[in-house]
Amino acid sequence: MARDKSDVWQGTLALMILKTLEALGPLHGYGIARRIEQTSGNRLAVNYGTIYPALIKLEQEGYITSEWGQSDNNRRAKYYKLTRAGTKQLQKEARDWEQTTSIVARFLSPESGSSS
Amino acid sequence: MRKLRAFLLRLAGLMVGPRRDHELVEEFESHLELHIEDNVRTGMSPTEARRQALLKFGGVEAAKQSCRDRRGLPFLETLAQDIRFALRMLRKNPGFVSVAALTLALGIGASTAVFSLVNAVLLKPLPYPNSEQIVFPWRQSPPGLNLGYNDFPWGRNEFLFFAQESKTFEALGAFRSDSFNLTGSGDPARLDGLRASAGFFPALGVSPLLGRTFTEDEDQPGHEHSVVLGYQLWRDRFSGDPAILGRTLELNGDAYTVLGVMPRGFVFPRAQEMPGSFTFAREVQLWIPLALSRGPLIPAESSELAVVGRLKSGITVAQGQAEMDVLGQRLQAQFPRAKGWFISRVTPMARQLAGDTRRPLLLILGAVGIVLLIACSNVAGLLLTRSLGRKREFTLRAALGADKWRLIRQLLTESLLLAACGGLLGVVLAAAAIHFVKILGPSNIPRLGETALDFRVLAFALGVSLVAGVFFGLAPAITATQENLIGSLKEGGPRSGESHATTKLRNALLVSEVALAFILVIAAGLLAQTFFHLLSVDPGFNPSRVLTFELSLPASKYTNQEQIVALYQGALQQLRALPDVESAGITETLPMGGATEGTALRIPGHPVTDPNDRPYSNYTMASPGYLAAVGTPLLRGRDFLESDTADSMPVTIVNSAMAKKYWSGEDPIGKQVGPLSQLYPAATIIGIVADTKRLSLREEPPPEMYVPYTQKVWPSLLTMDVVLRTKADPVSAAAAARGAIRSVDPDLPLANIATLETLVDGSVTQQRFAVVVLGAFGALALLLASIGMYGVISYSTMQRTQEIGIRMALGAQRGNVLTMVLGHGSRLAGLGIAIGLAAALAMGHTMASFLYGVRPTDPLTLAGVSLLLLAVALIACYIPARRAMRTDPVIALRYE
Repeated sequence: MARDKSDVWQGTLALMILKTLEALGPLHGYGIARRIEQTSGNRLAVNYGTIYPALIKLEQEGYITSEWGQSDNNRRAKYYKLTRAGTKQLQKEARDWEQTTSIVARFLSPESGSSS
Repeated sequence: MRKLRAFLLRLAGLMVGPRRDHELVEEFESHLELHIEDNVRTGMSPTEARRQALLKFGGVEAAKQSCRDRRGLPFLETLAQDIRFALRMLRKNPGFVSVAALTLALGIGASTAVFSLVNAVLLKPLPYPNSEQIVFPWRQSPPGLNLGYNDFPWGRNEFLFFAQESKTFEALGAFRSDSFNLTGSGDPARLDGLRASAGFFPALGVSPLLGRTFTEDEDQPGHEHSVVLGYQLWRDRFSGDPAILGRTLELNGDAYTVLGVMPRGFVFPRAQEMPGSFTFAREVQLWIPLALSRGPLIPAESSELAVVGRLKSGITVAQGQAEMDVLGQRLQAQFPRAKGWFISRVTPMARQLAGDTRRPLLLILGAVGIVLLIACSNVAGLLLTRSLGRKREFTLRAALGADKWRLIRQLLTESLLLAACGGLLGVVLAAAAIHFVKILGPSNIPRLGETALDFRVLAFALGVSLVAGVFFGLAPAITATQENLIGSLKEGGPRSGESHATTKLRNALLVSEVALAFILVIAAGLLAQTFFHLLSVDPGFNPSRVLTFELSLPASKYTNQEQIVALYQGALQQLRALPDVESAGITETLPMGGATEGTALRIPGHPVTDPNDRPYSNYTMASPGYLAAVGTPLLRGRDFLESDTADSMPVTIVNSAMAKKYWSGEDPIGKQVGPLSQLYPAATIIGIVADTKRLSLREEPPPEMYVPYTQKVWPSLLTMDVVLRTKADPVSAAAAARGAIRSVDPDLPLANIATLETLVDGSVTQQRFAVVVLGAFGALALLLASIGMYGVISYSTMQRTQEIGIRMALGAQRGNVLTMVLGHGSRLAGLGIAIGLAAALAMGHTMASFLYGVRPTDPLTLAGVSLLLLAVALIACYIPARRAMRTDPVIALRYE
């Protein structure tokens, strides 16, 4: 059961990371994790460490790039940035996601059986 | 694309591991710092802030590991780890590794070398385009009539009928051997030529290097004075001059225009690749149009044609055969008298060219497979022994979380690594073996020169190594990991705690090794006996001190039989006058020099009762003195004399097989016999000679009649073999013989100068090769099996040290210990021998066709090999038995 949950997490995590980077521009791993947690209204309580394999995967696929830089309070941190391919991928995945959720939603809505 | 890119990056990630790891740590540190700072800002104490940040991050090591897995390829990393570990293990056991790798190298090397031979002879595509479409439709002898060989030539009539009527062939060509004397440009030379019809080159699909081959127009009687040269002839004789095209050569006294030059290596057909019933040259030097006349059949015409066809694309060999069957039936309906002579067998080219080598090669391949199996069993036994010593290691790994598959995987990595070492060494051995086979192997194995370590052979070696690695690694790995591992972790666990399964597996391996070695040694023994039987068999002639060569008279100069006979008589007179020559004679075909003529017989007073079983015999022309020169004993009657001439009574000499077959219980001398054709007179039998083996030493000589070349005989007398029995070394007589021939006709070249011994030797080279190879494999199998036996017995003796100590302390004598250990070994060996014996008896049928003069169930061989194996087994057991005998009970009891 726990495994299923994490599968969903891995799949959607990539989308959330891409969306976060689109909204906030270049950001470090901590910032991304923090932002995802806040956006979810603290309902996604996941270890921050799990974000890093996902970042590596996205970077290998060429959707994001990384670069060491200085944070606001002068700390060295690795910043991730969306590439053009990443922007496209985000649009595609967002579309897919909306489609999936709307289909699933229709199945789950109470009137689905009786509505014409 | 993205996936591929990710995969390549991950692959690259394997290389730069440590640097990336460092970066990852740095990133995590920066992450934690940022988090702590935030936490402090919300009012936590620095310690609490750090604790919360670490908690929120989750396991740092786990995150690192999953990043590492994501970055690299975990499968490959485990593999690399396994290989590193395996290398370390192997390095620590140099003795074990060298024995195992060497054993494998012998097995893999031998099988790779044999495969390279099989590859060159049987598997490699032939150097003809779409060679699978090229076939040889041979005429078959009528069913029930055993003439010693199966494939026969077609006549002109049949070939023309096939060429006109067949629909499945794209091209159909006929060809026959012919020789030509080249004069007018330098020294006279006798050249081996081929007369081929216009369809010959298109059927083979070869194009000339220069110029063109002949067309239908040049394949007409009267227009055939054109020639296509072989590469070798063009280069050696005409120094590779491209301006040769269009020049005229004088062949047999006639002018021939050079049309083209064939590419290097095209010498088709080679004698060794054609059926034994044909006499082709070793290699063809030039091609001349066959120019068959379309008119009615001339009865005396010698039209012994071989036929080659190219099937239309999409037509299978079976379809070609079906059509030939139908055409044969039509011919049969037209010529009902020649009953059964229109059956054909369509042979694909690859099979034709491999010829008689196919089956011996497959036998050798089987033998080498057995050697490989023994080698693998041996290494499996070694690994099994070693894995017992590593029980604690496996237990520890299992306790630390390695599951069974992980352990098996690691053990397999080790054995594959071992196999790779063996394979590498094996390829080196194979290269050396190929080198030697090329130098020492029989020259009549077709395409032997093409044997090489090419891509396909290397792939085979790799495949064999992999399969062998899994084969000998899997059983020990599974057995080793299946045992109850907890027991062996206990420090005081009994050392001899070997499970039943392991002992059984080890014994089974040993027994099968002995059985396999037994089969191989039996096969080698039977073949060796066959070989020696062949060498000691009486061939019906005496090959020592005999020089032979061929004379080929140009038809333009020698136009009638009187001239020809005068030439030969003169030549024989000159030759007999030489001081070194004891006797001299000529014949149309030498023993071991190919097939002689054959004829259906007419025996006055013996009416043919069964038309399907007409009397038949070989038909050989000879001169007076030939029988003495070749050493065929005259059993009764007289030899031909100079007084047997065209004008005197026709005479013949028959061999004893013929005398027995057709005049059993009668005296053949004075009886009449003749060829079925009324063109030739029946001759009076004047003598009986011993049977002569003509095609191979294994043959049962068929009936044969000899006729004097001076009387009315066929075929043409233009090409004859001269036989000289010399007083001393036959080779040194060659120069004098050349001089003697020059004195009767200075333009006449001597061809195919050889000693009769060389010819006989040539007929057994393949046999010798098979014996040497199988003997070597048998010896190798014995060696490997005895090493395996030694290993198993010494290990089990070591395991029983304590037990032996107790026995000795209780009063057992050293002799008892020796008997016990030897008994253990001989029980296993005995079981192996029994199984091998059963297998050898079961396979006897397959072996029988390779044997001569010995039955596959030869009791002496079976008993001898059984004793040999038992002796080898006992010797292998003796060393560990002696060691056990010397066991000091006190030390043995303290051993654990």
